Formats: sequence, structure tokens, C-alpha cells
Amino acid sequence: MIDLIQAVGSGMLVGLVYSLLGLCIVLIYKASEAFNFAIGEFMVVGSFLFYILFFDLHLPFIIALPLGLAAAAGAGAIIQRLAIKPLIGRSPISMTIVTLGLAFFIRACLQLIFGSHSYSFFLELPDISIDTGELLFLSDPIWAGILALSAFGVVMFFLFRTRWGLAVRATSENQAKAMAFGINARMILLIVWAASSACIAIAGIMISNFGALSTMSSIVGLRAIPVVLIGGMDSIGGALIGGIIVGVCESMVGTYLEPLGLIGFKEVAPYILLLIVLLIRPYGLFGTVRIERV
Amino acid sequence: MLSVENLRVVYHDVISVLNGISLSVRQGEVLIIIGANGAGKTTLLRSVAGMIDFYDGDIIEGDIKVGDSSIKGLGPTDIMRRCGLTYVMEDRPVFWYLTIEENLGAAAFSRWDREVRKDMEKVLTYFPPLKSLRHKKAGYASGGEQQMLAIAMALMTKPRILLLDEPSLGLAPLVTEEVFGIIKRLNQSGISVVLVEQNAHAALEIGTRGYVMELGRIVLEGKAEELASNKDVREFYLGSGEKSRRSYRDARRYKRRKRWL
Repeated sequence: MIDLIQAVGSGMLVGLVYSLLGLCIVLIYKASEAFNFAIGEFMVVGSFLFYILFFDLHLPFIIALPLGLAAAAGAGAIIQRLAIKPLIGRSPISMTIVTLGLAFFIRACLQLIFGSHSYSFFLELPDISIDTGELLFLSDPIWAGILALSAFGVVMFFLFRTRWGLAVRATSENQAKAMAFGINARMILLIVWAASSACIAIAGIMISNFGALSTMSSIVGLRAIPVVLIGGMDSIGGALIGGIIVGVCESMVGTYLEPLGLIGFKEVAPYILLLIVLLIRPYGLFGTVRIERV
Repeated sequence: MLSVENLRVVYHDVISVLNGISLSVRQGEVLIIIGANGAGKTTLLRSVAGMIDFYDGDIIEGDIKVGDSSIKGLGPTDIMRRCGLTYVMEDRPVFWYLTIEENLGAAAFSRWDREVRKDMEKVLTYFPPLKSLRHKKAGYASGGEQQMLAIAMALMTKPRILLLDEPSLGLAPLVTEEVFGIIKRLNQSGISVVLVEQNAHAALEIGTRGYVMELGRIVLEGKAEELASNKDVREFYLGSGEKSRRSYRDARRYKRRKRWL
């Protein structure tokens, strides 16, 4: 029983970070109907920008984090301007393929600049680990969960309580209609990509904090795929639930199945779960209920 | 106040849709543009509203002017802000997954004044059916309600010129009448209207002037009453010619003749 609570609890904390990754994919998918396959690379870019500010320039965490996120947002905006904007109005498939290309391009650039060795990444956040004797939740995952959840909350507030968020939701539904009513759709897409890459950076920083940062950390970004497909590609709530499901699934498999000799099964389990979910609900658990008029 | 001069528009670099079209909209009038499918009516409105780029079209010749300044090449947001020109696309351009109130709010995005809230109430009094639905998703509203919402959204942008693309599309005759009544009232409150319609009968009733478009050109121009009583228009758009057309070949001859006008 203690094992179970431990596994579910730590799974949920990691899952919240996956939710944030999923949210970034969903934001971009809703706005431009393209799947951002470069999410892992965006994550590493954000983490390295923060790394430079925090570890190289020794800025205090409270200044380095917002600056790092702003830098990541800027990087996202530049990438959108150069690679995505020329494709607005074209088929979303071409945009998706461009993000695949971007993934390779950014990874190669990062390797040229930073090399392929690991950088030690330790934030030294205040210790808030919970230790009851039987249960142990480490400080890092708890911080990760808190930060991911608050980032999620900020994005939700932005989307559902501000006029810019309303414009983003309108543009997400239909770019042409939004343009006709005076919403600058190109500007909105720029904002969405910037916001999304800032959120990816938060997730990246938290994930790097679990271990080390290297150009190969981008593989973690692929976790976003089962998250959004389980939750539903166009559902923000689905991203939250999907992330938690993937996190819990991973840690349960790690606790119960891996000791049986299935080493590394943890990495595969979310995809098996994904297959099962897609067989039952092809739109994902929370995919939008299409408005059908009779 | 709005004039289009010898406009030529090409889609995807090869498909020529507007072949040198010129027209003018006067202050405070309801201008009707009628024409068959594929005549280029929607393309004309898209070009004027600055949205032709989005559909991969190019203005290769001619100019669009509001007053004395050219608006060719400006984006839709700029055109709306500078000239008070709002384009209501065809097929009820409302955001299905937003509530009616959010729809109105989204349409007011280009405005920065503090009166948005007040205007929303004012606009809703124009359209009583929308008032009771204000917290419902627009996708669940009926066709007539959606068309009213689309016009209400256009009003939220405080237009001086309103471009309406087939507001009667898919609406029952009674609802069409209601929508046209609203358009007439808006016009009386000082908004110039350009109305593109297939429903020539109803449109010519509320219009002051009209153009007939065919194959990307203007083939006829005149006062609404004149057009409504024009023999050719009666035969081909109002479906009440003196003698019924014998075969499709005659229609084509009509077209060939008109092209030289």
C-alpha cells in the first residue's frame, strides 16, 4: 500500500511536468493545427538559455528564471517568424514537417555550440522534501510539480480571462474569421509560439534539474506525444490529465513491473497505454466534442 | 467613399478571377452586387478587405481607395482601423466554440477604448434573440441567430463601411427578410453597406444602387429599381422573364453579348 501511494505520488509530480509539455503542444496545435515535433529541442534551447544566465552569469534564481523564460520566448518567436510564418494559410502538414526539420537543425546547432557532453545542473532550491519515515518525496520533483502547475495556471488565466487570450482562442478556431474581425492572426500566432516555448523552457529546466543537461535531453520531449494523444490533441484539460496518467503509468511500471526483470519497460509503457486509449477513443480521452448541428 | 479602379486579381498566380473591375461606393448607400457563382463577388470583397493574401491571391493591377488614400496591400487589421471597413465573410463567420458574448468580445479586439462593455449591451438590444443566448456556445445557435451574431460582431468593430457576403445563405425566407430588415436599419443609422447576394429579389428591394458581375467584370450598373426592372436581370437573376429561356445555349449567348459591355 505504501509502495502504491509512493508510486502514484511521485508519478503525479513528474506527470505535471509532462502536462506542461503537453500543454505547449496543444497550444500550438490549436492555433496552427501543426504538431510541434521540435518540442524536445525547444526544451533544450530554453534550458541552455537559463543555464547561461544562472550558472555562467551567476544571476540569482529569481532574476534568472524570468529572464531565461523571456529569452526562450524570444527564441520561439524568432523561430516562428523565420520558419513558420511563411507557411500561414498553407496546409498544416507542411508546418508539421517544417518542425521535424527544425528539430534536426536546432539539435545540430546546439551540438556545435555546446558540444555533446553533459552539463551538471543543480538548482539548490530550498529543501521541501516530505519524509514521513515510510513515504519519501524528494524536493526536486515537488518543486517541479509546483512550478509546472503554476505555469499551467498562468497559461489558463491568460487564455480564459484576458482579452488577448480570447483573441488566441478565436484565432485558434479559424484564422480567416479572426482576421476578418480585425484580429491580427499573424501576431497572435507569434504570441502563441513565444508563450509555448517559454512553457517548454520551464519544463526543460525542471527536467534538467532531475539529472543533467545535455543536447540529448531533447528525447524527453517525445514524452509529450503520448500525453497529448491520450488527453486529446485539442484539449487543454486533456493535457493535464494525460500528463498525470503518463507520469503515474511510468512510475507504477517502474515500481511493479521492472523488478520482475523487464528493465527499461518504463519507457515503453506510456506508448502501450496510448495504443489502448486510441483503440477505445480515437480522439483521445478529452478530444473536443465537435459541435454538430442537426 | 470607397472606390475600386480597374482591379485585376489572380489566384495561385494562374487563375484570373477579377479582370479589371471598377466600382464606387457612395456615402450612406446600400450597394448591391449580384452575379452567378464564380463571377468573382467574394474575391472582390476579399481584395477590398485586405484578405486576398491569405487565400494566396494577388492584386496584379488596379487600385482600391478609401477617400483619396490607397488601401491596396494593407492588412485587414490596418484597413479596419484606418477606414472603418469591416468584412463579414460568407457562411456565417462566427466562432463556434466561443459563447455569444465571447464572440462579441473577440470582434472588439481591435479596439482599445473602454466602451466595449457598453457597446455590447447596445448591440445586443438590436438583436433580441441573441440576448437570451449570450452564455451559450455560438455553434449551437440556429442559422438565423448565427447570421445576426455575425452582423452584431461586425457592429462591435464600429464600422463605417460594412461588406456583407451573402447574409441570406442557407436561411429561410422569413429569416432572410428579418436579416435584411436589420441591414436596412443599420444603413439608416449611417453605415454604408456593400451587399453581395444571390437572392437578387430581396437584395434589390433594400438596395439603392446595384452592379451585375459576370466572369470578373461589371456588366451592368444602375439604380436598384432600374436593375430590378431590367429585362436581362429579370430573366437571369429574378427568374421571371417574359418568356422562359429555351435552352442553356441561349444563356451562353447572353453571356457572350454581355462581356462586351
